[in-house]
This record gives sequence, structure tokens and C-alpha cells, in this order.
Amino acid sequence: MLLLDWLYVAAFAVIGLLLAALSLAIVWVLSPRSAYPQKRMTYESGVVPIGQAWAQFNIRYYLFGLVFVIFAVEVIYLYPWAIVFRQLGKFAFFEMLIFLVVLLLGLAYAWRKGALEWT
Amino acid sequence: MPIPIEDLWSLVPEFWLAALGLLLVLLDLFLPGDRKRLVGWAAVVGLLLVLMPILGMLGTPARTVFFNTYAVDGFAVFFKIIAVVATILVILSTMDALRGHTSFEGEMYVLLTFAALGVCLMAASADLILLALSIEFVSLSSYVMAGYFKSDLRSNEAGIKYFLFGAASSAVMIYGFSILYGLTGETNLYAIADRVRTAPQPALVLAVGMALAGLGFKVSMVPFHQWTPDVYEGAPTPVAAFLAVASKAAGFAALVRFLMVAIEPGPVDWVAPIAGLSAVSMTLGNLLALPQRNIKRMLAYSSISHAGFLLMGVAAHRGDFGAPGLLIYLLAYTFTNLGAFFVAIAVGGRLGSDEIPSYAGLAQRSAGLAAVMALFMLSLTGIPPTGGFLGKFYIFGAAVNNGLLWLAVVAVINSVVALYYYVNVIRVMYLLPAPSGGSASGPVPLRLALGVAALGTLVIGIFPQPFVTLVGAAAMLLRM
Repeated sequence: MLLLDWLYVAAFAVIGLLLAALSLAIVWVLSPRSAYPQKRMTYESGVVPIGQAWAQFNIRYYLFGLVFVIFAVEVIYLYPWAIVFRQLGKFAFFEMLIFLVVLLLGLAYAWRKGALEWT
Repeated sequence: MPIPIEDLWSLVPEFWLAALGLLLVLLDLFLPGDRKRLVGWAAVVGLLLVLMPILGMLGTPARTVFFNTYAVDGFAVFFKIIAVVATILVILSTMDALRGHTSFEGEMYVLLTFAALGVCLMAASADLILLALSIEFVSLSSYVMAGYFKSDLRSNEAGIKYFLFGAASSAVMIYGFSILYGLTGETNLYAIADRVRTAPQPALVLAVGMALAGLGFKVSMVPFHQWTPDVYEGAPTPVAAFLAVASKAAGFAALVRFLMVAIEPGPVDWVAPIAGLSAVSMTLGNLLALPQRNIKRMLAYSSISHAGFLLMGVAAHRGDFGAPGLLIYLLAYTFTNLGAFFVAIAVGGRLGSDEIPSYAGLAQRSAGLAAVMALFMLSLTGIPPTGGFLGKFYIFGAAVNNGLLWLAVVAVINSVVALYYYVNVIRVMYLLPAPSGGSASGPVPLRLALGVAALGTLVIGIFPQPFVTLVGAAAMLLRM
């Protein structure tokens, strides 16, 4: 009977795929098409692209990206915590404090090791 | 749901290790470049201190905390002791091995401390999600450590290879976990044990097989062993020692807890496949170790074959010998294998070569180093009065007790084959003339680590009683 339950999953997957394919097919049949060169250009946030995509990027972009991701994740955790802060009490306050200190230590590490300098 | 405060007290060692790691990061930030070794000594002191709360938990009754997701039992305590002791010795051996190869010395001690924390978490996880997370924790630290020498191509290769293999096998394992969750509706190992009886057979076999891929990768079991020689050869030698001992022990802790707690009550016969993989691992590892000229590659293949012997202990888990045999084998293997890698560090540091022929005449150049290396080789073979013999004795006994006589025969034949390449190292050290003069003894911290490893290997072999008592207690508390 458990395997039968899995059949629902399989049925869902098949129907879902069919629906997606169907809607794409309808668009493909009905939509008008007009080709012009700008349409085939790489999308670069609306700006005309310069050079090739296979350019070498400065490694610092990645370092900044990594540090940014840390704090983006931090904010995601802070919002729900702030909303239920009153109900959670002191325990949650100190838990979040530890979390923030650990993240700050990461920032201090990046700073001290020169990851935040551009030159 | 609030967490009971008493539960937090059971996690003192883990909190301690986490705080130690963070403190070491801070210390590393403010020490000038030539004093980074202090970070290592601080790590050693901190790890020695954390042994106190861990040992304090030895006699306490087995229980689970944090809503049954984390086990506090003798089994976990045993592996925590192995993790912390192995990490202390590896840190001692690292202190001079990094000089001249990297400008990031402090981070290595931090990573090793965090990896030790990960091993502790792996050994105690009683929940699939926590298990997957802690395996990733150990893996992430290890990937970085394997590729630590940025300017060394082989080290780069080791890091990338380990990462790719690790990521792939983790993915397969987590997929297996998700199927297991789909079948039982639980992620907790003890809750799965209750539900697993009614799970449909083919899907359950698939789930267990996939989970074995990830755990088999960690213990370098055939057919998930291909990364082992390249990673051990390319990684800094202390890191290879850590992977061969602490990481493997953690893999076995997780494997044993997963199989014996969650899968054992179910309808799947996992003993026969594990016994088969054990035979294949020990045979393949041994045969491939025979032609090796590089000591690290030789030790890597030997570690695959030892994974086979340890799997024999997992397969022969019933009765009085199985689980204690596995644990005592691991304990002896920890000291012995660490020691063998430490000799490789000492020789490699002096001669700049890991080739076995360059060990020629080591007995004349450094009698002590050659003597302990001979001891470690004999213990890896399993010759009395070393710890390796005691481990093999127990595991062979367990296999016979469990009706796995054929496996015991395969293991005995393999031990004889292994004798050839282990004793070859002794032959090269003692019988071949040294090509040039110059002593090859290591620096003080490394010699300290070597001494402890040699002492451990000998003491387990000669006075086994306290260790037998320890593993007896650790194995008994396994099932709740």
C-alpha cells in the first residue's frame, strides 16, 4: 500500500510535465514570431553587451560575492526571528547573539586577511 | 517547543570544540606570521581539556537529547575520544610539515579542530538530517585541507578530486535518505527502526544501498574507494593521516549506527552484502598495495584493505566479539596508522621524498624512527604483541562466531598477502644500505606524536584489559 502511495507521486509528475509541455505547445502554435538581431543578443540587464562572455573576471568579485551571501543569509534568518521575538524570550535572544557573533567573526576574518580590499 | 536546559549539558564537548575553533580563528587573526604555531599549541591545549568532559560521560546511562536527534551513549563517547586524540596527534605532526609550503598555517589548526567537531557530531547523530549535515561538515573541512598547498598541483588535484567524489556520493546518500523517509515517514533512526518492518522490500533495498554509497565513500570501501590513493598522495601528509583515521572512524560510527539501529529490525538482509564488500575491499586494497613505490599510496591502499577488515566486524555484529572487535580494531588502527603517516612526515620532511626506496638504510640514519616504523608495519599486518593483532584476533573470532567462516579464511589469506608489502618497508629500512649520510629524525612536536602513537600501539597489544573493558562498555550501550 505504501508503494501505491508512490503511484500518486508518479501520476503527479507525469501530469505536471504534460501540463507544462501543453502550455508551451499552445504558445508555440498561437504566438506570432518576428526575428530581429537584437533579439538574439545576450541579455545584459538592458545594456548592449561588451566583449565575450568567456572573459577573465577578477577573483575579488567571488570573494565579495561570498561575503555578501553570508549576510544575505543572515538577514533571511533575522526577519522571522524579529517577528516572533517577544514570544521566544531570552533564550532566542542569546541564540541569535551567538549566531551573529559567529558571522561577525567571519567578516573580521575576511577583513583582516585583506579580502575586502580591491587593490 | 522549548529545549530542556539539561539537554544542553550533554553537549558540553561539542560546544567546547565549536568555541575552541572560533577562538583559534580570532587568535590567528592577531598573531604575527612567524608565531602562528601558537595557534596549534592553543588547539592542543583546548583539545586536551575537552577530553575531560568527554571522559566524564563514560559511565552515564545512554540517552538521546534534543527530541531524540542526538545520542549520548558509550558508543558516541568512544568515537569522540578517538576523534580528539587523533586530532591532537595530527596537529602535533602538522606543526613543521606546513613550513615553506603555505602561508596559511593558522587556518589548518582551525580546520582540524572543526573537523574534530564534525567527527563527534557524526558519531552521535541519531537523525538522518543531522547525520547528513555532520557528514557534510567533516567533508567541507576535509576538502579544504586536502587542497591546502595552493601552489602544489598534486594537492590541488587531491582537493578537487575529493570534492567531486564527495559531492557525488553525498548526493546519492541523501537521495537514499529521502527514499527511506518516504518509506517510513520518519527521519529519526530509532523511529525508523519501529516502522522499517513494514516497509516494502525493493524500495528499502534501494534506499539502504544508496545510503551506503555516501558512508562507503567516507570509509573508502570498494567500490567507492577510487579517490583514496590520489587524495592521500596529493594532500599534505598530516591531512592524509587525519582522513585515514578520524574521517574513516567517523564513517564507521555513522555506518554502524545507521545499520544496527535503523535497518537491523527491518526485512533487508544487509549482512551478506556487507560481508561481500568486506572481502572485495580487503582483497582489492591488498593486491593494489603490492606494487606501490610511494609510501603514501601504499598506505592509502592499505587503508582500503583495513576498511575491508573493519567491515568484517560490521558484518559479524552478533555475539560478544563483533561490535567490541570493530571498536578495538579501530582503536589500534588509529594509533598504528597515525604513527605510520607520522614516520612518512618525518622522512618526507628530511629527504623531500615519499618513495619507499628512499627509506633505504633508515635504520642507520635514525634508529628510533626505523624501529617505530617497523612496529607500525608489524601492527598493520597484525603480528603480536601489537595492537593490530588484538584487533584482528577479535574480528576473526567474531566472523567465525557469526558463521562467516569463508570471510575469515579470505581475511587470513589477505593478512598473509599484506605481510609482503608491510615487511618490505622493514626490509628496505634495515637491509638496504643508506645512499647518503645525514640523520632523519623529526622536530620535537612530531617526535612527541610519534612516541604517543608507538606507545598506544604497544600498550593496546600488551595490556589489552582496560581497552577491552572500554570497548565492551561502548558496544553495550549501542542499542537503546
